[in-house]
Amino acid sequence: MSEMMEKKVGIVSCSGEELAEGTVARLAALKVLNELRPRDTVTICLPLFLAGGAGDRAFAKLHPTITVDGCFLCCAARATEKYSNKPAASLVVNDLVSEAGLGKPEGRRRLNAAGHEAVKLTADRMAALVDQALGKSKEALGLGQAAQAGSEGEQREATCSCGSGVVVTKMNIAGQNVELIALPLIFRHFRQEQRAAGGPSRKLDQQTADNIFEAVKIYNSVPTELEPAYRETVLEEYARFCEKEKS
Amino acid sequence: MSAAGKTMVVVPCSGIGKPFGTVSREAAYELCENLRPQDTRLVALAKLVLGDETARDLIAKHPAITIDGCKQMCAAKMVKQSGGTVAHEIAVLDVFRRHKDLKPEGIAELNEAGLKLARVLAEEVSGKLAINEGDNHV
Repeated sequence: MSEMMEKKVGIVSCSGEELAEGTVARLAALKVLNELRPRDTVTICLPLFLAGGAGDRAFAKLHPTITVDGCFLCCAARATEKYSNKPAASLVVNDLVSEAGLGKPEGRRRLNAAGHEAVKLTADRMAALVDQALGKSKEALGLGQAAQAGSEGEQREATCSCGSGVVVTKMNIAGQNVELIALPLIFRHFRQEQRAAGGPSRKLDQQTADNIFEAVKIYNSVPTELEPAYRETVLEEYARFCEKEKS
Repeated sequence: MSAAGKTMVVVPCSGIGKPFGTVSREAAYELCENLRPQDTRLVALAKLVLGDETARDLIAKHPAITIDGCKQMCAAKMVKQSGGTVAHEIAVLDVFRRHKDLKPEGIAELNEAGLKLARVLAEEVSGKLAINEGDNHV
């Protein structure tokens, strides 16, 4: 198994095709994803999220998300809360523009100058929220991440056709090579629960083991006849995860 | 006017991660703003799915043209799930297969080939609407 993925923030952008503010939201999200915080963020594709992408929903359940909406309808924030978890933070372009006293963004297809200013403002604010969600200070960010884009190590991401991603772990179970999604995220979630309940040395109890495997089954297709083998392998992997966290 | 002599709604994919999603939006804008402004109306996918009444009402009353950027076909799926009728289901990839010289690049800003691909797609859809109009007048 490859190294565990660093904690990341999911960016869910409004897709508001009807409004210039929707374009501002999308472009600001892309700026954060590609330029400002490439190592700390992934996008969660809103339409696939809504249309039932299990991987996207899994990510949002286990990672903090920041939503950015173009207008008061707040589709991205509402969708995230409705289908997954409450966002860690939410931005609305209209509000930011108003607070900053910028001109009105115009041109949903080609933004005007005010629109580009709004993109920068929204992206900067979003990047700060990413840092906050990850508990990173400006100093900890060091030289900046733009130069580190694309150096994410060996972890492979299951990119949906729209480009969002959840970690995939390759495993051999009962002689078959299989891919399971979201294992590190699930493991981290349960590890934190264990710590809160009884400290890091607390042994894995039956109930937690059952819950871990049930969570894995939510996000992965597990053949009924192979459940015992999957369970054994997943729990072994969880034990390795805990050992690695100790060291 | 379009096929049934009514306005048609255009629902593009909202994909943010790949150039094909951007092409779908650009094609929808081209269709609604330049080629068929009188008989098309753009509807945002997210509003439709979240149950926005105006969006659902439009989908219920008018046939839809969906333009999807990937094989997940979110726009087409969601229109159908919302009880709408998809009159024309377009996949950007299918159009690209016929125009392989127009490889789209850039998400925030499409390259010239991507913009051209969007125009070609929009013109193809507009052409289909024109044929339907002709049928209606026979």
